[in-house]
Amino acid sequence: MLVLDDLRKRFGDVTALDGLSLRAHPGRILGFLGPNGAGKTTAMRCVFGLVTPDHGRVAWDGHAIDAATKLRFGYMPEERGLYPKMKIAEQVAYFARLSGLHHDEAEAAASRWLEQLGVADRAESKLEELSHGNQQRVQLACALVHNPVVAVLDEPFAGLDPIGVETMADVLRELAVAGTAIVFSSHQLDLVADVCEDVVIIDHGREVLAGEVSELRRSSPTRYLEVEVDGRPWTREVPGLDSADTNGRHRYVLGRNADIAPILELAAAEGEVTRFSFEPPHLTDLFREAVQR
Amino acid sequence: MSPIAQTFELARRDFTQRLKSRAFLLTMLFTVGIVLVIGPIIALAQGDDEARMIAMVGEQPAGSEQSIRLQSDLLEIDIAIERYGSLAAAEDALAAGDVAVVVNGTSELIFNEEPSLQLSAVISGGIANAERLIIADEMGLSGADLEELLFPVQFSERTIEPEETEEDDVKQVAALVGLMILYMSILIFGQFVMMGVMEEKQTRVVEVVLSRVRPTQVLIGKVLGVGLLGLVQIVALGGALIFTVTAADLADVDLTSIGIRFLGLLIIWYLLGYTFYSFVYGALGATISRQEDMQGAAMLPVLLIVPGFFFGQMALVDADMWIARLASFIPVWSPMVMAVRSTTGDVPLWEVLLAIVLIVLTTVVLVRLGGRIYRGAILKTGQRTKLSAAWRSAND
Repeated sequence: MLVLDDLRKRFGDVTALDGLSLRAHPGRILGFLGPNGAGKTTAMRCVFGLVTPDHGRVAWDGHAIDAATKLRFGYMPEERGLYPKMKIAEQVAYFARLSGLHHDEAEAAASRWLEQLGVADRAESKLEELSHGNQQRVQLACALVHNPVVAVLDEPFAGLDPIGVETMADVLRELAVAGTAIVFSSHQLDLVADVCEDVVIIDHGREVLAGEVSELRRSSPTRYLEVEVDGRPWTREVPGLDSADTNGRHRYVLGRNADIAPILELAAAEGEVTRFSFEPPHLTDLFREAVQR
Repeated sequence: MSPIAQTFELARRDFTQRLKSRAFLLTMLFTVGIVLVIGPIIALAQGDDEARMIAMVGEQPAGSEQSIRLQSDLLEIDIAIERYGSLAAAEDALAAGDVAVVVNGTSELIFNEEPSLQLSAVISGGIANAERLIIADEMGLSGADLEELLFPVQFSERTIEPEETEEDDVKQVAALVGLMILYMSILIFGQFVMMGVMEEKQTRVVEVVLSRVRPTQVLIGKVLGVGLLGLVQIVALGGALIFTVTAADLADVDLTSIGIRFLGLLIIWYLLGYTFYSFVYGALGATISRQEDMQGAAMLPVLLIVPGFFFGQMALVDADMWIARLASFIPVWSPMVMAVRSTTGDVPLWEVLLAIVLIVLTTVVLVRLGGRIYRGAILKTGQRTKLSAAWRSAND
């Protein structure tokens, strides 16, 4: 298990991490969420020793992370970058060798990952000759080519088209099934909800919400009710009910055990009820509540 | 994988990627090609000097040709003599450039465009001596009498410093060429290191690399890879130079042994000088993210190395001059100055060893300082990072 425990880091007057803790379990996918500047990238860099925390520790299976352990981890930084003039097969094999694979193993692993990510036909192309999306796939291949026990991916889905997103999500799921602990950050919360079992939401360098996505949703005291009458959103004011307009959607905010039958009756009295949705908060709602923005 | 194996892997990438680049290959082929044609060109130029043909026409005193040859030997001028049947034929040969001068009897020397004072002195002196020998013989003078008559005063010659030999001249040329190669190589390959570091930072790939290896390993790997590339070029250039000079037989000395010593010194002092400067270049490269900032960042090492080139030239004039001797121990300059002194003079072994120990120790310190600057600056993008800020950030 990857453990970040009570990490604190200041850069001059700026507090980047303020007692952040998280745990990433083998075989599970952890969504690492937070608004811009919350400290996600700093925390990820701490895992690889790229930033030294002022306080706290990073450990794998109970031990501090040394150079040998770090080689078993995979990292895809937020700021993408590879060698523009190097052929991609050479490039992926090079990073495999740097991670400790022997020459032949590295070449085989590079071919396998390029195939899996759908860029095998460009193996002999220079990186700069590839589209942005394909460059991103190569970047992921470099992070995963040595079959890491932990994959830390900073915004891996950013800039990908829907097919690329689907491919990458499948790859992450397969990796998790194979036992890798995956931590990734993203601002695409629907995608996170779809891919991740666990989330940690941070703000101002500290955790504000953490747990299994399904459990967090289920245990939330809030429920959202969305009603359509005759195919149109039903927006009538109901005494004693709060409502919220989010992304063009009108929803009523209720408690988990609220009695919704009277509301259904009210709506039915005005026409045919074509939609009546009473559900726990989505991850987006949880996120917004957690960071209070 | 051990850190050493990782460092070699980093070096291997830098070496092979640059070696495969078209720009490097073309530059290498061009420079080696230029060097290879230098020997034949010089030999050809020397050949022109040797072909100074003297055409003899009409009557000259007996023994004139032998006497002219003696004069030319004294003045170290290579000549050949050919007798022509007529003045017209000799002048035709002169006009065609086959001969340098026509000797018409004992009255006239004919040149094509410009008279040669050397040839005039050789020919007139030679013919006059032949005439004197005939007169002395007619007067019944002995060889000793004639010697006394012709050379009543004779000076012996000596020099305070050991007399300069052709071997000294060859060593001077070798030292000058070596000085230029060292100066250029340290600058060029040092800047390759700076550019490589800057490009890795600019393209952000360095963060991926640093997630696997330590910053100092990345810097050392780059220095090794680019340095090996420079070594390949130096060996190729030096080898081509020795080959072309030896093959063209440009001097009557053992060019091969001088060449091997020259190449050995070149390699040793390149490795020491390049390693020293490349850590400076590498650390400075980490402080910049844009090509435009390179010139400014490269200024410091250039300012450090330039005086070394001038001290090297002083050492060429006199290997034991105090300022050159002092400069040959100072690590920023010793790669050039000691290389020149060792090529031209007889530098005591302890002086060479002391200079090597000093530059090695300073380089070890530089690796630590440069590594700290690199660590503190390499992940800071945007504006050029100040050295003081990089130093402070090294522990972040």
